[in-house]
Parts: sequence; structure tokens; C-alpha cells
Amino acid sequence: MRALCWNGVNDLRVETVADPEILNLRDVILKVRLTTTCGSDLHLIDGLIPTMREGDVLGHEFMGEIVDVGREVTKVKRGDRVVVPSFIACGQCWYCQHDQYSLCDTSHPKPELQEPLLGYPTGGIYAYSHAFGGYAGSHAEYVRVPFADTDCFLVPDGLSDENALFISDAAPTGFMGADFCNIQRGDVIAVWGCGGVGLMAQQSAMILGAERVIAIDRYPERLAQAEAFGAIPLDYTKVDVIEALKELTGGRGPDACIDAVGMEADGTGVQHAYDRVKQALYLESDRGAALRQAMLAVRKGGTLSILGVYALMDKFPLGLLMNKGVTVRTAQQHGQAYVPRLLEHAQRGELTPAALATHRFSLEESPKGYHMFKHKEDGCLRAVFAP
Amino acid sequence: MNAVTHDSSLDADARAAVTIGRPADELRTLWLRPDTQSRIWSHFADVTPIDERTAEWVAHGPAGGEYRWRTELAAGGTNELRWSSSDGADVANAGVLVFQPAPGDRGTELHLDVRFDPPGGPLGQALSKLFHLVPREIVLKALYKFRALALTGEIPTTDPQPAARKGGTDR
Ligand SMILES: NC(=O)c1ccc[n+]([C@@H]2O[C@H](COP(=O)([O-])OP(=O)(O)OC[C@H]3O[C@@H](n4cnc5c(N)ncnc54)[C@H](O)[C@@H]3O)[C@@H](O)[C@H]2O)c1
Ligand SMILES: [Zn+2]
Ligand SMILES: [Zn+2]
Repeated sequence: MRALCWNGVNDLRVETVADPEILNLRDVILKVRLTTTCGSDLHLIDGLIPTMREGDVLGHEFMGEIVDVGREVTKVKRGDRVVVPSFIACGQCWYCQHDQYSLCDTSHPKPELQEPLLGYPTGGIYAYSHAFGGYAGSHAEYVRVPFADTDCFLVPDGLSDENALFISDAAPTGFMGADFCNIQRGDVIAVWGCGGVGLMAQQSAMILGAERVIAIDRYPERLAQAEAFGAIPLDYTKVDVIEALKELTGGRGPDACIDAVGMEADGTGVQHAYDRVKQALYLESDRGAALRQAMLAVRKGGTLSILGVYALMDKFPLGLLMNKGVTVRTAQQHGQAYVPRLLEHAQRGELTPAALATHRFSLEESPKGYHMFKHKEDGCLRAVFAP
Repeated sequence: MNAVTHDSSLDADARAAVTIGRPADELRTLWLRPDTQSRIWSHFADVTPIDERTAEWVAHGPAGGEYRWRTELAAGGTNELRWSSSDGADVANAGVLVFQPAPGDRGTELHLDVRFDPPGGPLGQALSKLFHLVPREIVLKALYKFRALALTGEIPTTDPQPAARKGGTDR
């Protein structure tokens, strides 16, 4: 089959690789219908996540049709149109049973690579380095999905492929970030980042009853989409974000701040210049402008919900959180906990993930798609590939 | 040894523990199944059961090295299993697995301790060169695979990875 392979920093190529096969009894093979780019991939492509290997098939946000089924799969069958969360979860361990699917105790084939870094291995994920399991990704004609009964969700008739696609990753991540905020009547939620994850967090915060949602980014087309979703847009290159947020909240500050930016935050001013230089010299893996700003902006006793991916940030103003009594919630997405509900919200039109699908390419054109996505050319929010 | 610089992953005496949400007797039975042993140690050695208590081990080192030994299960208490290599082992070793009730509804704690005694001294560093794996990885991975097997009936794998992992180098 054809697949998009990572060959080194900024070196992506479509290659012919072996077709995946059923390896365990609960696996299925999916014929990929749609698969998409995620901000997380940019961290891999830019070489900020170690233990990638030449030839790794990229892609962890996808939906497709089941074409082959392991002997112990009981709930889904050949021909089903399904969406699959990006983290692989068994459904049977303590973490899965406590809805913390990305922390699954049994789905990581290479725990010895990750345990020294994190203390305990997490669940495995498609195409996110070997320290995260080394599973082949979805930017391919076919992908192997383990634990199909837990990880494949039937897409209801009438819901389009485009709407179902982002319920794999961007939507559950955003929804989890809003869920972390424990939104109460009257709450104002500020979201840094209007990429796929940030936009989904904004719509989710509204579904969960936020009084007002404020969206922060610099790209006009992304801010326009946030506004179309009902958020108040703020361009951080044009306004002083902290002052603007105080103004918009009567001096209280947002009740919760969601970071949907991550380790490659852009910024302005001296701190940003410092972060860029350190990152370029590999002295620091993270540029944390958005996260630092969110820590300063959040109201006293508020919540900081971190969805952006970080490594080992070396300058972290913990005192802001401590003195302000801030609650921090963060995780890799526990998709399986949210997908059924998100499919319903999408069916009712309350969640409209298809709005993220601004650009569509064949698999052969996927390197071009990544280029556009990375450089945000032509208003590209997400590049979608149809293998 | 200096406590600050000591890297316990290189100890020839390797320990690890996992908690599994299942009763101890069920886990003990599963551990003793011959095919379980060959599956959970496969990253380290080919284990072939000879009979209920004896198994043949062949570990593969880098550059084609092969190390053989036989292990014998000792008679022990109900909350533990003990085994050790017989005379003539290429790499002498001994293991003990203790089952303890976990607090609350967490199931059972498994504490595994394997002590290797490689020729030329009990140095984990020598051992990791011999096997291409540090002792702690050997033990941790076996326990992790056992937990997966106990909870899901399968061991997570990407091997043989048919999708484009060319065994290329890490970048
Ligand atoms: N927790 C999870 O499970 C999970 C899942 C998916 C993605 N992620 C992470 O979420 C983050 C966002 O993902 P995405 O797909 O939306 O990425 P994206 O690259 O499409 O969007 C990131 C957005 O952040 C904006 N941004 C950069 N600096 C900013 C700043 N200082 N202030 C405000 N906005 C700023 C960019 O302009 C961009 O629009 C990434 O770090 C990604 O790795 C996490
Ligand atoms: Zn993602
Ligand atoms: Zn699990």
C-alpha cells in the first residue's frame, strides 16, 4: 500500500510499504477513508519529539471502513464505518475503567522506552514516536486498529465523513479540555490557540454552558472561524491579551484558561526571542509563551486546562499557580470517554467539526498538505487526506 | 556506591512491580502456564517448558551470542514463586515473584526480583552488553506483558511490523 512516511526533520515522503495485518485477536484492519494533520505532528516533523524512526508512517486522526476482523472482535464487523481515537486503549485495565483511556496500562508495546522518561508508561498511540508505542499511523491506505471493540465507534448514518473524522482527536481533545474546566453558570473561558483543538475546545465550552468564550490567536481566518462559532476573537499581536481579558471579565480574569497551543507557541517580545534561541540550540524543548500568559491571566482560584503538548520546560513560573490557588488539569486525550457523546452533539449540529476541513488532498499530495498546514498557507486549518 | 550517581537500572539484581486487577490465585495459574512463560520473556530469551517445573532458556546476545540455562521451580509458599538456574548455566540467575493483595479494589501486586550472576562478576553493565538489554528492562517488560495478558488476553505488539518500520535508526 501507499503511506506517508517520516524520514527525518521536515522530510516526508509517500512510499510503498507492506500492508498491515491482524496481529492480535481483537485487531481490525481499517481501510482509511479520511485522515488528517494535527498540530502534534508538527512537533514530530520539526524534530522536537525524540525516538522517531526513519520510515515511520504518520497520522493519528482518522476514520474508515473495517475490512478485516480478528477472531475475538464481537461488537464491530466488516463494512462498518467507524471513527477511532488516537490513543489505543484496552477497555479492561484500571485506567480504562476510570475513563483515563490515554493512560491505558496494557496497550504500549515498548514500555521500557517510556518508563525511564515518565516513571510509568502511558497507553500507546498511532504514529507518535517509539517512546509512545511505535504503532504505524493512518496516513496510509490501511491501518491496523487493536482492541477494536473498545476503540472503533460506529459513525451514525447521516453524519458525514468530515464531521466524524475530527471526533478521532481534535474534538475529544477540545471537549476534554472544556470538561476539565468544570464549567458553572456565568463562567468565562479563554482559549489560547484557534487550531483544530482550540476551536473544538471553544465549541465544547459553549455546549457545556459557558457564559462567554474568548479565543486567542494571530491568524485572521482562524479567529474568524472562532467568531463564527460564537467566541470573542482576540489577536495577540494587536492587543495586550492580559489587559483585554481583564476588560472582558470586569477585572476578574477568566474562570478557566485552556492552552491549545503547545510547545511551539509564537510570541512577541523578549521572552519569545529567548525561547526561540534556546529551542534552536536544543537547550530547551519548549517555547511556552501561551502557557505563561494563561497562567497570568487566569483568575484567582481558577482552572488552567492544558491540552498543548509539552516536553520538559525548564522555566515554569510555578509561583503564579501556587499563589493564585490555580487548579491545573491536563492529559493526552481520553477520547473513548467522549466519542459517543460527541457523535450525538455532531448529529444535532451543536458540534460542527467539518468546519476544520479547509483543504483536501489525495494521499500522494500529503507532503504538500503538511507544508500548507504547517505554514498556514491559504487559511489552511487542517489538511485532510483521502487515500 | 555514591547514592546520587547510582543507576539502579544497571544493577544485576533487577526488581519491578505491577498491580493487576485480578485475584492472586488466577494470576499464579496464568503465570505457571507454559505458553505464558515463553510469551512474556520473548524479548529476552526463548523459553521452552520441559515439564511442570523445568524450563530451557536461550538468550540471544548481540553479534549472534547465545546463552543457555535451565531453570527449576522451587517448592515455596502460596504467595510466591521461586526459581533458579541449574548447574552449568551460561548466565546463572535466580528469580522470585511475590503476590500481595493490593489496597482497596486494586487487585494483586506482583513483585518480581531477578538476580543475574554473569561470568566475570555480578555487574549489570556486563550483563547489558551480553543481552543488549539492561536487567531492569528485562524484568519490567516481562511484568508489563504479563499484566496485559492477564487483563486482555493478549500482549501488545507491532512485531512483525508490516507497515514501513524499516528498522531505521532513531532520529
Ligand atoms: N492533549 C492531547 O491529547 C492533544 C491532542 C491533539 C493535539 N494536542 C496539542 O494541542 C496543540 C494544538 O493542536 P492543533 O492541532 O490545534 O495545532 P495547530 O498548530 O493547528 O494550532 C495551534 C494554534 O496556536 C496558535 N498560537 C501559537 N502561539 C500562540 C500564542 N502565543 N497565543 C495564542 N495562540 C497561539 C497558532 O497560531 C495556531 O493557530 C498542539 O500542541 C498539539 O500537539 C494535544
Ligand atoms: Zn493529535
Ligand atoms: Zn486499558
